[in-house]
Amino acid sequence: MNAQSAIDTYVKEIGGWVASQLEACTRCGLCADACHFYQVTGNPEYAPVWKVELLRKAYQQRFTPAGRLKAAVGLDKPITDEALRKWSTIVYEACTLCNKCALVCPMGIQLGPLIHDVRAGMAAAGVVPADLAAAAAKQKDIGSPLGVTDKAWAERIEWIGDEWEVKVPVDLTGADTLVVFSSIETMKFPDNIAAVAKIMDKAGEKWTVSSAGREVVNFGFFEGDEALTKLFLARVFDAAKALGVKRIMISECGHAYDAFRWTAANIMDVPRGVEVTHIIRMMYDFWKAGRIRLKKGAYDDVPITFHDSCKIQRRGGHIKEPRALLEWLAPKAFKEMSPNKEQALCCGGGGGVISIREADGLRFAAFGQKVDQMKAIGAEAVTMVCSNCRLQFVEGVAHFNFGVKVRGLTEMVAGALE
Amino acid sequence: MDWTTILRFVRGPFFKVALLVFIGGMMYRLIRVLLLGWSRDRVPSRGSKAGGVVKTYVKGLLVLPFIPWVKRTFTPNALTYIAGGLFHLSLFAVVIFGTPHMLVWKSLLGFGWPTLPFPLTDGLAAVGIIALIVLMINRLTHPVLRLLTKGPLWLNWAFTFLPFVTGYMMTNHLVFRYEVIYSLHMITVNVLLIWIPFSRISHFLFYFFSRTFHGAQAGKRAVNP
Repeated sequence: MNAQSAIDTYVKEIGGWVASQLEACTRCGLCADACHFYQVTGNPEYAPVWKVELLRKAYQQRFTPAGRLKAAVGLDKPITDEALRKWSTIVYEACTLCNKCALVCPMGIQLGPLIHDVRAGMAAAGVVPADLAAAAAKQKDIGSPLGVTDKAWAERIEWIGDEWEVKVPVDLTGADTLVVFSSIETMKFPDNIAAVAKIMDKAGEKWTVSSAGREVVNFGFFEGDEALTKLFLARVFDAAKALGVKRIMISECGHAYDAFRWTAANIMDVPRGVEVTHIIRMMYDFWKAGRIRLKKGAYDDVPITFHDSCKIQRRGGHIKEPRALLEWLAPKAFKEMSPNKEQALCCGGGGGVISIREADGLRFAAFGQKVDQMKAIGAEAVTMVCSNCRLQFVEGVAHFNFGVKVRGLTEMVAGALE
Repeated sequence: MDWTTILRFVRGPFFKVALLVFIGGMMYRLIRVLLLGWSRDRVPSRGSKAGGVVKTYVKGLLVLPFIPWVKRTFTPNALTYIAGGLFHLSLFAVVIFGTPHMLVWKSLLGFGWPTLPFPLTDGLAAVGIIALIVLMINRLTHPVLRLLTKGPLWLNWAFTFLPFVTGYMMTNHLVFRYEVIYSLHMITVNVLLIWIPFSRISHFLFYFFSRTFHGAQAGKRAVNP
């Protein structure tokens, strides 16, 4: 470990944007109550503003006269290895980068992106939780954070095609849409891949998956490691260029959508004229354009609710599309949790938290609030458009022994095709 | 030295110096941040950035505690919201619409404006003082605020509190002779003005940066800020 490399990273990251946000903070502490991890533990160290403490320290000691003076006379200590270790658990295990805090902050400070910057320093110093680092290394070497090899992936895709009797085109040059799945879908929710295949087929979309750009999840982005983030993004972008597609469709993965849609263009060269979109938007467009027809009221049997994923709804903007679909598919049974939409509560498993074993206690505690939300409206089923959230829900309802059915919205749409 | 001489000094040259330190210091803070470099956002937008900015300013001014999502943070922090809100209201009302303050503005800017009746600004000043005391107690007892609050933040509190108290005592003719309390009021105001550029009270300037970003980020993603 090397505290200096963390400090160097912070200094590199600090431009007008970061500085003005840090300067705006009044230390009012309101952000604490926006954080699901603070809500369930009451631990003041989980206050979002405290999570950016190291970045603030680096900024003051390097860029402000008062901070420099204080550091020079020894009133303010430099960032130590010990501090990095301590904050590493706070920013990786107790933060899903859901950015709800930014909505509560009276100053509107973008705490989520700032905490991502704090993680970047941790990644540079090598103070990343072991599980996260291992997954990132696997993604780098094998191509999948779950360790799915090229061969295993190809076999899996073939198996999905046989099992669900669907066509999953691989490396089809001249396709319009490149669909990129996550390893969670490939290994744990293969029904989702089959569902996408059915919908694409029905809509008559020319689509393909790519063996070179087959992983949508970005563990470099979870870690905050910019070099790895770019490497993993480039694999998909290069595949898109090689196949000559018009758009990249991100399947059910929130963080990946953030990386591809909202981050990539600002940190690297992205292929021109290639649109980045999300499965929920494509399904909605197909349906609106009449390319797919869905059975009205197909899921009106049990009360169902929709979970807003931080990166797809609050930070992605796809708020009306799932609701329009659900009001068609379950006009009587669809009920909203409270709060919802932009203000929704995070599932507790995003931002890489779900893959860190040490964070299990925290993420289940946070999920307890989702259980309460669902109970309050008597939901018997819940749906979402993020397989990371879905995994958290599947494990969470099992943990709480709560009898709610967890479904992916894509799979529901595929099931309602006429 | 008698109090009349002191008063002449503190509301004359000392006030001018304090004002210059305040303006110069804030300019320095602003320019330093501006010069740190700004990268262009190359991400294509889904919605309107400008629309998001307008929405966030409107929403930021109307914090309505009965909206469920606000309630979730409001209920455990009612003191911060209510006392914080009342303090800012009191501050703006008294400093901008109090008659004596308007006259100071007039002497500086060359033009004046209608002011609020004395009983109203006086009452609001009292509200501001009470709000500050409540906020201090809150800061001493709330676990998150205790973690966040270090030495300089207490100076912020003290340097803001004193002008309020001395001003209130002056207009209500409490305890001290007029020249004495007027001098004390001006001294505390000058200290506050000098202190602001070195403190987080400067948030009134950077607020416009963070709010604008917040609105633009939400607008870009076509979500409500």
